[in-house]
Amino acid sequence: MAVYKRSYRGYSGAYTPEWSRFLILTRYASRNLYRSKAITGFLIACWLPFVVTALLIYLNHNATILSMLKTSGGQLFSIDAKFFKNFLQIQLSAAFIVTAFIGPGLISPDLGNNALVLYFCRPFSRAEYVLGKLAVIAQLLSLLTWIPGLILFGIQASLVGWTWTIDNLFIASAIFLGSVILILVLSLLALALSAWVKWKPVAGALVLGVIFLGAGFGAAINGVMRTQLGHLLSIPIMFEKVLDSLFRLDQTNRIYSEFSPALAWLGLLGIAGACLYLLSRKLRAYEVVR
Amino acid sequence: MPANDQIVFENVSKFYGEVLGVNRVNVSIPPGITSLVGPNGSGKTTIMNLMTGLLQPTRGRISVLGIAPNEPERLFREVGYCTQFDSFPKGLTGYEFVYSYLRVYGCRHQEAEDLAWRAIERVNLVEAAKRKIAGYSKGMRQRIKLAQSICHGPSVLILDEPLNGLDPLARAETIALFRALAQDGMHVIISSHILHEVDAISDQVILLSNGYVVAEGQIRGVRNEMQEHPMQILIRCNKPSEVASRIFAQEHVVEAQIHKDGLGLLVRTRDADKFYLMLNHIAMNGVGIESVAPADDDVNSLYEYLIGSDEASK
Repeated sequence: MAVYKRSYRGYSGAYTPEWSRFLILTRYASRNLYRSKAITGFLIACWLPFVVTALLIYLNHNATILSMLKTSGGQLFSIDAKFFKNFLQIQLSAAFIVTAFIGPGLISPDLGNNALVLYFCRPFSRAEYVLGKLAVIAQLLSLLTWIPGLILFGIQASLVGWTWTIDNLFIASAIFLGSVILILVLSLLALALSAWVKWKPVAGALVLGVIFLGAGFGAAINGVMRTQLGHLLSIPIMFEKVLDSLFRLDQTNRIYSEFSPALAWLGLLGIAGACLYLLSRKLRAYEVVR
Repeated sequence: MPANDQIVFENVSKFYGEVLGVNRVNVSIPPGITSLVGPNGSGKTTIMNLMTGLLQPTRGRISVLGIAPNEPERLFREVGYCTQFDSFPKGLTGYEFVYSYLRVYGCRHQEAEDLAWRAIERVNLVEAAKRKIAGYSKGMRQRIKLAQSICHGPSVLILDEPLNGLDPLARAETIALFRALAQDGMHVIISSHILHEVDAISDQVILLSNGYVVAEGQIRGVRNEMQEHPMQILIRCNKPSEVASRIFAQEHVVEAQIHKDGLGLLVRTRDADKFYLMLNHIAMNGVGIESVAPADDDVNSLYEYLIGSDEASK
């Protein structure tokens, strides 16, 4: 029998905090994303509505221009909750496209290359893996939604003063909360679909399909069954309802007025839950023996 | 209480739904090189996945150096895993591959850099470290996988088919590395189909068939316990007929075949210890014995006797 004297010493140095390790994945994935000129170009283009909106806010408070246009009431248009909600809704379309392009490339290559086992044979959990990947989409969608939204709110606040700002603080919270919900649901949807469909282009098409075909299918159900429950299949409509409620917009005389915001909240929660379930089913640690 | 220097499986079973992975595994693995041997689907990878906590057992208890696999933060400090299949995130160089996973371990930049280079140096891949893994040969891929499994300084190294695709030189270097790690007191667990290499490098073997452990321990110890397969011993001597007539009177000797060249014989015995004692007496009584060597106490024979028949009957 071989007798071994223990002379081996493992690594005994310091470790980074446990909570921060998921950011390694985010950093590597983000670095790969920004290498693509097309994606970087598209992200820059997505700031065009922000520039236009900021310009509009400025013009609305520029005395010279207002006097030139001789506007009644001293303003070109009213900057209120609806104004900011419309801006967020424009950004929503960009967010859908970004999610469909970027989301599928996050998990499917790891599954395709059987690389999950490499993450999970380390002190790294499935939740941290999902968080690391989700953070990639979250940071991009943040750049498109609540960050420009809050900057616009800040510009408006700086031009009109404290009274307006305090009276309309709910708009800032609606921008942030609405964006966070959007980011969570879209990120989870993209990750779940990318985990189930290993082929990137198909996963991307599927994300767009779930978003837009779901809306069409929902409308068909509503038409045939004479109900509003079909909207539960339409992510854009559910977002719109949730944003309406967050921005405290009057629900009467609006389209889909019979579809309650509470149902929209439940619908989005259900989608997020279903995505988490799909991810937990698919992201398995062990090596798949082919 | 499981020993803190052993990997212990206590009555461990793993079922994938209704499919058997492994059943009632009871093994204790001491430091050194241990090989898992068995045909495809025998449960080798399942045992490795259980050891690394990637799979939870359906029944039973596992302890790796006194740590339960459901304590990943402690377990993975001690365990390094080299997977069977290529598992490389897209677009990374060899260095980035090792470095990035060290960061996932929680090593800071400078330490990760030092450890990555040390591991790459150990697998002799420094020159190719800055090249993309996609352009690596099969052997280089195996070595970079090995580097990522040893880079954080684990006490238990689990290697699924680590010699696959290596050329003879790289194979010899890798085996030497395993030996060096084992001599330092590391547990090196290897699964392999290449039986003569298993034989050459293993301190102990675990033979698996259809999800069951059919034998475990040191190769010679396992062989001695196989009474139903008499041990074969080759003797080269000057008077094989005389030796044959004297040994054949013994109850434990089953067969004696004289070689065609008349300078040796093959003996089959049920009790090797008694046989060697008797052979000493024969040698002292004037028979010139040139060499004595067991002919079937290697992994190849164990595999043939314990698993080969099962495989053949499929």
